[in-house]
Amino acid sequence: MLDGRAVLVTHTTTALGRHVAEALGGLGASVATAPARFVDRHAAEDAFAAAGGIDAVVHICVDDAGLVAQPLVETDPEAWDARGESLIRDAIFTLQAAHTRFVTAGAGRVVVVAPTSGFTGAGGFVPVSTAVEGVRALAKSAARQWGTAGITVNAVLVPPDLVAPSLVAATTFNAPPVVGRLPDMRFDVGAAIALLLSPTSGGITGATVIVDGGSVMAP
Amino acid sequence: MTGALDGRSVIVTGSGGGVGRGVALACASAGAHVVVGTRDEKGRAVVAEIDARGGRAAWARCDVTDQATIAAAVDLALERSGALHAIVHNATSNRSSEPHRLEDVDAALWEEHASVSLRGAYLCARAGFEALRASRGTLILMTSPAGMEGSHGLPLYGTVKGALRGFTKSLAREWAPLGMTVNVVSPLAMSPAMERAVEQDPAMEERLSRRVPMGTIGDPEADVGPVVAFLAAADAHYVTGQTLAVDGGHFMNL
Repeated sequence: MLDGRAVLVTHTTTALGRHVAEALGGLGASVATAPARFVDRHAAEDAFAAAGGIDAVVHICVDDAGLVAQPLVETDPEAWDARGESLIRDAIFTLQAAHTRFVTAGAGRVVVVAPTSGFTGAGGFVPVSTAVEGVRALAKSAARQWGTAGITVNAVLVPPDLVAPSLVAATTFNAPPVVGRLPDMRFDVGAAIALLLSPTSGGITGATVIVDGGSVMAP
Repeated sequence: MTGALDGRSVIVTGSGGGVGRGVALACASAGAHVVVGTRDEKGRAVVAEIDARGGRAAWARCDVTDQATIAAAVDLALERSGALHAIVHNATSNRSSEPHRLEDVDAALWEEHASVSLRGAYLCARAGFEALRASRGTLILMTSPAGMEGSHGLPLYGTVKGALRGFTKSLAREWAPLGMTVNVVSPLAMSPAMERAVEQDPAMEERLSRRVPMGTIGDPEADVGPVVAFLAAADAHYVTGQTLAVDGGHFMNL
């Protein structure tokens, strides 16, 4: 599906990032990785430079620091920033570097990947839920501003099971997937991302695609 | 004044003008004791207005980027009323309505957007937790269609408003076993920021009104305030994690 496409995947230190990178590689993409979060715009621009010629960016909205359950009132300002706000800044820097790269080409694809728990809510995970829903709104605004430049920005949400056991424990209210199994990382999640990365998907932007086997069925 | 908020105590941040002032006036009209939280002295005039109408209010110098000043407002509410039933976090950055391009924004502008509206919500939750737990009270935040459908002109504003909905839902789940609720309101009303925008572009008001099914831009006190007052009342104790648009039907795409 992705033969001849070059993709940068971020946050490949996380299980989700690693698995998404493997899945896209398995679907034929040439994959570059950026392991950790970007602390500033320069770090993002440097990672894009190191990645060489790319057509698309898949930004993973979580990192391991964010996946620790703790009541909000016990979360100190440093942890609030590390698990929440810093992930939004990281996404802003990633999107800005993507814009720098894609605006001259007149084409580009961005997909942000996050757990459904931002959407459904998850006790103990307020900071990361805040970040995920912030990034999803950010992606929509980027889609609005950059649409005429040929850049699409979409979101793919995956079940907590594909992200971290701690998140599964906080979302036991979710209905089981109606397809009777969790989504496959390559043939379900990877394939949905691949669709959004393809040159023919220019009519889809600012969208959220939930790949969770029909568990949430959000409005 | 008597009503659904008799004997209840409410803090409203950013209530020196606009939607915050409207919420403060409406809560006072419904019988609440209102702590008018403002960073500058403007809150004093709102307290005077409530006093003049026979309501009960007190002013607290409250900078939501500083948890100690929120804690002081909570202490003032407890001192005046013996309890705190609701915090309405309405304050936003003065620069929140400045148009910007996402590719051009720097860390300083993000900090401006994030610190008041978003980190302020976190600090309100922390500073208010013990008092709200004691009263099985509520935290009410403010969002916007920009947080749900994105924004062409204000991407960072949209990001913060979307983030607040994620915050609301997860905290609502976290606090529900304690009998505490968290909701978020999406108002459309004339605010000082919108008045400035209309001054610069007089056609904007009519253009925007045409996009509102009910045909007018809301009034903070008459249209938005009473709905926030309802969420702060005991009758709304079974409502949590919700986004409630109070906007004349402007945004229905949820």
